[in-house]
Parts: sequence; structure tokens; C-alpha cells
Amino acid sequence: MTNILKKLKGNLFIVIVIFGYIAMFIIKPQMGVEAIKNSGYYIKEMLLIMPVIFVLTALLDTWVPKQTIMKYLGKESKTKGIVVSFVLGGISAGPIYAAFPFCVMLHKKGASVRNIVIILSSWAVIKLPMLLNEVKFLGVRFMAIRWVLTVIAIIIFSWITSKMVKDEDLPKEVETKQDIVINSDACMGCSLCTKTYPELFQMQNKKACVKEYDFEIDCNKLQKAIDGCPVTAITDYRVKEITK
Amino acid sequence: MDIFTMAIWILTAGFCIYSFVKDKDKTKKSLKMAFGMGKGMLGSILSIVFLIGLILTILPPEQISEFVEKQNLYLATFVSAAFGTITLIPAFIAFPLVGTLVDAGVGIVPSVAFLTTLTMVGIVTFPLEEKEFGTKFAIVRNTLSFAFAIIIALVMGVII
Repeated sequence: MTNILKKLKGNLFIVIVIFGYIAMFIIKPQMGVEAIKNSGYYIKEMLLIMPVIFVLTALLDTWVPKQTIMKYLGKESKTKGIVVSFVLGGISAGPIYAAFPFCVMLHKKGASVRNIVIILSSWAVIKLPMLLNEVKFLGVRFMAIRWVLTVIAIIIFSWITSKMVKDEDLPKEVETKQDIVINSDACMGCSLCTKTYPELFQMQNKKACVKEYDFEIDCNKLQKAIDGCPVTAITDYRVKEITK
Repeated sequence: MDIFTMAIWILTAGFCIYSFVKDKDKTKKSLKMAFGMGKGMLGSILSIVFLIGLILTILPPEQISEFVEKQNLYLATFVSAAFGTITLIPAFIAFPLVGTLVDAGVGIVPSVAFLTTLTMVGIVTFPLEEKEFGTKFAIVRNTLSFAFAIIIALVMGVII
């Protein structure tokens, strides 16, 4: 029972949306159909951009060394970092949530909080394709003034954010027992390991972590969990010690 | 597909081929990682998408603009900014809509407030942002974006 409750809590958002639709279909079936039709456009938008963003993010994660990210987007990057962030956000495509996995990866590799905020914000409002559209409907003058003001605003509030939010406030590695370690930077919270070996793994803040244990580890089950992890985030340092 | 989305696809495809030539194993691992990321975010993103559809049905943008047209400047600004925070509307719908608002005499200030919060602040995307960046980051970023959206709008009202 507690398990079901926990699961519900973890997916609260999804549950709310589903209930919203059920309510809608009961009260006004017509509007329910309309809502699903309205969602259609966004599904298309998501499918057009998200797969490629995930692949690009993973490839950059693999090939771009930490030093490079730190040099261009780290705390010491100053003006250069701000410019690079604006360019990255400005030439992007897709809605703001497309920027989330990309920015998480950059932060993990040493980009500063300030530059992350700049990328996210410029991704949202000052994208080039958007500007052309804006000129069409609202005129060049409107667009230019709004663009300049928005850039200034982003520079100011990204600075405020960096004063208020520290690197430690962003999610990172959860403390684990030394011998079996889950790299929580890599963990995507798929909870596969907790299903394979529920006695050993549990979900905490939507990331998997190792429970306190004092029983004999079932090596088969553990190996299954390690092999099953889609991001190979689980490392068993215990095994290495035995083989030595 | 707009040209920028296309450019990202082409760039990524090229990168992928380059990566594959350079190191097959690393590329496979990256693709697996990308797949894992997608799986991890799929539930949240689908919820966001369907929630937007639901909100747009209950509160169609046309109805909001009708309401805003009749209000005084400050209320209109606040209502448009607030409406902008809930939903994400694609630019090609948002700009004509804002254009109509301006033409209808609503004024620059509410229109700009709407435009900015529309894209930068997301109540709908908040759960996802919180999961990826932590609660504090998500709250600070969204609050500041909202405040500055109003400031941008007010300054624009003075300039134009």
C-alpha cells in the first residue's frame, strides 16, 4: 500500500492530468476531444525536437571535455560566457523544456548557474526564428526594443539568480554506501534497478540509491540490475575487490 | 519544420556519424544514454503536452484577449502576464494574437507582459524543471522571470 502511495506521489503530475481529462470527458465530452486535438500540435512539436536534443546532449556529454565547458561557460568565463550562452540559446529550436536536459548536462560539466539561466531564458524568448515571426506581426521597432530590453533583463536576473542559487542547490550525487555506487548524475530515475532488486535499491527524490543493508548480496540479482540500467549508472566496487 | 530545427537535426546527424567513425563503443553508449534520458523525461513531457491542450480548451486565448480588452491597464497587464505563465503557446499563434491585442487597443504593456511570460515562465513545466534543477533554482528562475517580464512590459510602454 505504501508503495502504491509512493508511486502516486512520484507521478502526481501525471495523475492530475489524467484525472483532469477524465473529469472533462464526464462533464463535457466535446471539450475532452477538443483538448486532445489541441495537444496534437504540441506532440508533433515535441517529437520534432526532443529526440534530436537527447542525442545531441548525449554526444556532447561524451565528446566535449569538462575543461572546455568550464572555459566557455564556467564561473570564470565572465563576458565570454554570457555571450556564448546567449548565442547557444538564441540559435536553438523547440520549447523551453527542450533546454532542460541540455542545461543539466552543461551544469554537470562545470557551466555556471548564471550561464544556465541565460541559456534557458534566451532559449525561451529571443530565438531567431521567433524574432522573424514577431517582425511580421508587430513590426521591426517593437521587436528591436523588446529584444534589447529582454537581453538586459536576462543579464540582470541571471546575475541575481547566481547570487541566490548555489551549485549545491542543484541535484547531484546522493550519498551512498561505498561498495555499490549509483552515479546519480547519470541516473534518470527509471527505477528499473528497484524493480530488479527492491531489497537493495530504492528511489529517493526520483533518483535511485542504495539502501542500508546487512544481508548477503545476491550477486545474480545485482548483476541483473547493473546490466539492466539503461545509463549504466551502477558500479559494483565490491566485485573488483574479490577478483583482486 | 522550421529551418533551425532542421539545422539541429543535420548537425546532430553529422556529429553522430563523426562520433561513430571515431569510436563505435562510445557512440553506442551515448545513444543508449540519450534513450535513457528520453525515457526518464517522457512521462513528464507527455503530461505537460496534454495539460497544455486541456488548459487551451478551458481557457482559449481568444477568450482571454476578449476579457483583457475590457480591463484597465494594470489589471490587463497582470491578467495577461498570469495567463502567459500557465501555458506555452507556439510563437506562430502567440504573435498574431498579440498583434490583434495591440490593434484592438489593448496597449503595448499587457501584450508584452503576455509575450514574455508566455515563453519564459512555465507553471506547467515547473514539475519537470524542479526535477531536473532542484526546487530552489526553479522557484527563483520563474519568479524573477515573471517580475522582469512585468518590468520589460512597463519600460516598453514608456518607450513606445
